[in-house]
Amino acid sequence: MSQAEVDTTQLLKGVLDLAVLAVLADADSYGYDVVRRLRENGLDHVGDASVYGTLRRLYQAGALNSYVVPSEEGPHRKYYGLNNRGRKTLDQSAQTWASLSKALNHLLNGRSNGHGK
Amino acid sequence: MASNDPASDVATYAASVRAALSDLPSDQAAVLLEDLEDHLREIAAEAGGPLTDRLGPPEQYAKELRNAYGATQVDPRRQDPALRDLQLARAWLTGSEWYRQVRAFLPELRPAWWVLRGYLAALILTAAFSQGYGIGPIPNPTTKRGLAEILAAGVAIWLSVRIGRRSRNLPQGARFLAISTNVVIAFVAVAVLGNMHTFTYSELIGTATPEQQPFTAAFAAGPVTNIYPYSRDGKPLTDVLLFDQDGRPIGVQQSDAQTNYPIGADGKPITNAYPLAQRHLNGDPVVAPRVAFPPWPTPSASTAATPTPSPSPTR
Repeated sequence: MSQAEVDTTQLLKGVLDLAVLAVLADADSYGYDVVRRLRENGLDHVGDASVYGTLRRLYQAGALNSYVVPSEEGPHRKYYGLNNRGRKTLDQSAQTWASLSKALNHLLNGRSNGHGK
Repeated sequence: MASNDPASDVATYAASVRAALSDLPSDQAAVLLEDLEDHLREIAAEAGGPLTDRLGPPEQYAKELRNAYGATQVDPRRQDPALRDLQLARAWLTGSEWYRQVRAFLPELRPAWWVLRGYLAALILTAAFSQGYGIGPIPNPTTKRGLAEILAAGVAIWLSVRIGRRSRNLPQGARFLAISTNVVIAFVAVAVLGNMHTFTYSELIGTATPEQQPFTAAFAAGPVTNIYPYSRDGKPLTDVLLFDQDGRPIGVQQSDAQTNYPIGADGKPITNAYPLAQRHLNGDPVVAPRVAFPPWPTPSASTAATPTPSPSPTR
């Protein structure tokens, strides 16, 4: 694992809840599919175990509901979806993220502006 | 290790992950790892190749899982040493090759258990409804009762298989109930089987009632359906009453022929007066068989009128 990957993993850790909630707000999904959709959206370094663990924790915390969908071939899939509490958590986290990223962008822009001076 | 078999690869990988998380409190571990296998199967099915290529070593996976779930690492030094040893032993056991093989093989025995379970359930019911009746592990198909038992076993097996096939994904509570029921059936069946006496020939052919011991028990060559008594000099006797050592009337095996018992003055049939008057199904009377009389000892010995051979008198 390279240094850049380690950094990404560390950064991701803090926002993975938000990312998972955002994916599920789009459509109900099962573990492997959540991983795939996160990666399709550019979060290449998201770990399978991290997503699985996050799903289980959010479910345990009462933010998700879940149901099993039998499949003809292959294993039964446990789908997760947002319930009211999950949607509320997503809204709050999204706001927090927005203000945080605004602040960070400001800081970073200030630094690059400073360099430019 | 056969990682080209996806099912055993998933089982091995999951067992290693569980082993690495064996220090988690059991309720936390249960919630976290509840559908780990299904999840891994999904990955194995879509990604192909060994899981370690796709997910890294199971220990690493377990660590990531632990962090993402927010479970705390238990400091091994603060744990009870005995408990830690126990967990290490369990981790070693569940990670071992033979455990993996047994675990992978056990699910294949499921249908066999369903059939056995149905049979055992029928056996327990039979035992419960037959006090004092000697039941065997295999019902006697020549009696109505035995046929009913076979039918009951068939229905029980059918039900058991049906239940087994439909209980793939039971909720937690129902699963616990199902496992408990299985354990109870197995234990009670062991007790029933232990109390069962082994099959004897007389049980197979006899229609035993307490008063009427089957005379057939002693004759392994075939059922005795009538008795023809003769006097010493070969004259056929009629209406000879036979009793056993306890004074019970001796009966014989029913044959296809119809028996007309003489009716006593009290209105009850006399069943032990031989030979029995029997008629074939077509109405013809059953005739006495040809018999060969044994050569008796010489007349001088017979006049002694004692069954024990006496030594020659001394002079």
